[in-house]
Amino acid sequence: MTKRGIRRGRGWRRCALAMAGLAALAVALAGCASKSQEIVFWQFWPTEVVQPLLDQFEREHPGTRVRMEQLTWQSGKEKITAAIAAGNAPDLCEVGSTWMPRLLASGQLADWTHATESLRLQLRGWDMCTAGGVVNGVPWVLGTRALFYNKALFARAGLDSSHAPVTWEELRTAATAIHRLGGEVKGYGLQAGERYILFKKFMPFAWGNGGEILSGDLEQGVFDSPENRTALEFYLSLRPVGMIERQDQLDRAFKEGRLGLQISGAWLLKSIPRDAPELRYGVALVPRPSLEHGTHASFAGGEVLVSFKSSKHAEGALALARFLARPDNAEALARAAQSVQSAAVGADTSAFYRENAGQGLMIRQFETAHFTPNHPAWDDLEAVIEDEVEQALYDKKSAAQAVADAQRRLTERLRAR
Amino acid sequence: MRTHSRATAWAMLSPWLLSFVLFGLYPFAFTLVASFTSYSPLEAGGARFVGFENYLRALTDPEFWNALRTTGVFVIGTIPFTTALALGLALAVQPAFRGRTMFRVGFFVPSVVSIVVLSLVFKGLYAPNGFVNAALHAVGLPAPAWLLDPRTALPAIMAMDVWTASGYYMVIFLAGLEAIPHDLYDAARIEGASNWIQFTRITLPLLRPTLLFVLVVNTVRSLQIFAEAFVMTGGGPLKSTTTVVYYLYEEAFTRFHLGYASAVAYLLFAITLVLAWGQMKLVKPSGEPR
Repeated sequence: MTKRGIRRGRGWRRCALAMAGLAALAVALAGCASKSQEIVFWQFWPTEVVQPLLDQFEREHPGTRVRMEQLTWQSGKEKITAAIAAGNAPDLCEVGSTWMPRLLASGQLADWTHATESLRLQLRGWDMCTAGGVVNGVPWVLGTRALFYNKALFARAGLDSSHAPVTWEELRTAATAIHRLGGEVKGYGLQAGERYILFKKFMPFAWGNGGEILSGDLEQGVFDSPENRTALEFYLSLRPVGMIERQDQLDRAFKEGRLGLQISGAWLLKSIPRDAPELRYGVALVPRPSLEHGTHASFAGGEVLVSFKSSKHAEGALALARFLARPDNAEALARAAQSVQSAAVGADTSAFYRENAGQGLMIRQFETAHFTPNHPAWDDLEAVIEDEVEQALYDKKSAAQAVADAQRRLTERLRAR
Repeated sequence: MRTHSRATAWAMLSPWLLSFVLFGLYPFAFTLVASFTSYSPLEAGGARFVGFENYLRALTDPEFWNALRTTGVFVIGTIPFTTALALGLALAVQPAFRGRTMFRVGFFVPSVVSIVVLSLVFKGLYAPNGFVNAALHAVGLPAPAWLLDPRTALPAIMAMDVWTASGYYMVIFLAGLEAIPHDLYDAARIEGASNWIQFTRITLPLLRPTLLFVLVVNTVRSLQIFAEAFVMTGGGPLKSTTTVVYYLYEEAFTRFHLGYASAVAYLLFAITLVLAWGQMKLVKPSGEPR
């Protein structure tokens, strides 16, 4: 063999060795790639609130990356629906409780009935993600509404500012006394002029009085009842001593000391110290009809973590859901957001809720709060109730007429399905 | 050679053609098909063919008629004002004077700002303690709850729309005015014609094609009014600002009745077509046989 032939032979060998090395490296990398996975997670919280939790999850699950996308409440629903329609749903998704009924009926959600059995006693809010005994999600955080009252206005109106109204009558008396102060000051905040809120303002009184929307089997409307009629009559009786405005304006008026009482959410607990640190205010359970009758009912909502049947990373999505719903992590989110509460059972015993009276009260309020019925057409049904209550609020109908019309329209909607 | 140039032409056209087919023609056809089905992306069991059921449901739904009435009031209430204001502004800023460009730009700016941003600004202006009420208070007038009173919510949005859209149509009228030969005005002045005579006998007749364009385009745009109601009032209070497109949006993306919403979209398309055709018949450009 010539020298050139030997050199060429060595060259080929080197080349072959290099190729083999590269192939081995590729196989090794491919092995790593098969072990690693990327979970696509869609959610609504600001990045700074949720990212620390996701970083922690990645540390606890080496080889798993979370690609988080932040949605907005304005367009998130459409985006999720479009993704489902296109078969591009994320692996894990945060969904508002009032969107759940339709999703539960869609048959698109992953069945987590058995996968979440161990969590069942640790978390509250399973009603949000359960239909027909099948669990299609994990409760993450909860939200409710409570009574906010201005202690300074209470004092000015000659009321005991250390005693929040407990009954409807006490609420009306307090609102009337504050309204009499005159000027820009109004007694009670009545929300109107926008969707998805009025329902949460009125129904606490209806539920507290024993009223319901649908029958237990969700087949029939039961809205036209003495309980709901009485609740609406009471609600309308607050009009003469009230301010009818959009929610943002009511919150603003409350912070500026121009509103005595209103039902609102925990977001105020975050924004009042920032926007109105001098405001002397209290938070209390939504008043009940009387000391002898009814409950301190309110609206119960929350955020649910769901996965879809189309997810290619079902196990990873479930692992992330379980991680995020873990009591310490749910509380970390609730603490950062301050507009929701942890879904963990016994959350109120933690230091955070013991030290923050308002947040603690929200957890207590949740005990007597009502979830919306898990009916697939819930969006339609809620719109009907809001329409009719708003008509009564604008004096277009009597309470009795509004309740009767709501019943008729609910029945039509239920029949149309 | 001819083949080569044809291929080049197609190559040049293809980006636009592709986007037109993908984002124009396909959705247009898909919506037509969907309007005859019970299509809903979240409905288990898929879409069923329902014939004209969606169309019948819309035509018998009081909420659809309410939305149509609201849209009609909006169109009838804004188009004359927008057109008159745009023409008035165009006539005002056409002659050469110091600062003319600044005025032209100033009037045109609102039409290039995002409608969502403008709606948010106006929502603030119409707020109980906003600028509008402050100004009314200052002159001793009562201050209504603009966006919360069913009687004032729609007019408030209409006023905003007139202000927003006028600048855009002003520019179109300016182009039309620039196209009118100056000799005609010179001749008219020599004949002793007043400004009013010049306007009615020269400007208006020769502006007819421009006027037709403005009317048709503005009608089509007004029939599709949505963002203002979405941002400022959410269709309320008491559905007084629920326009057809807002109603369609609610049906499609809140209740996911996409088949039904598609039928509503086609009904609106038919109404738009009829109105545009009627306007073309009414305002024929001069010189065309009647």
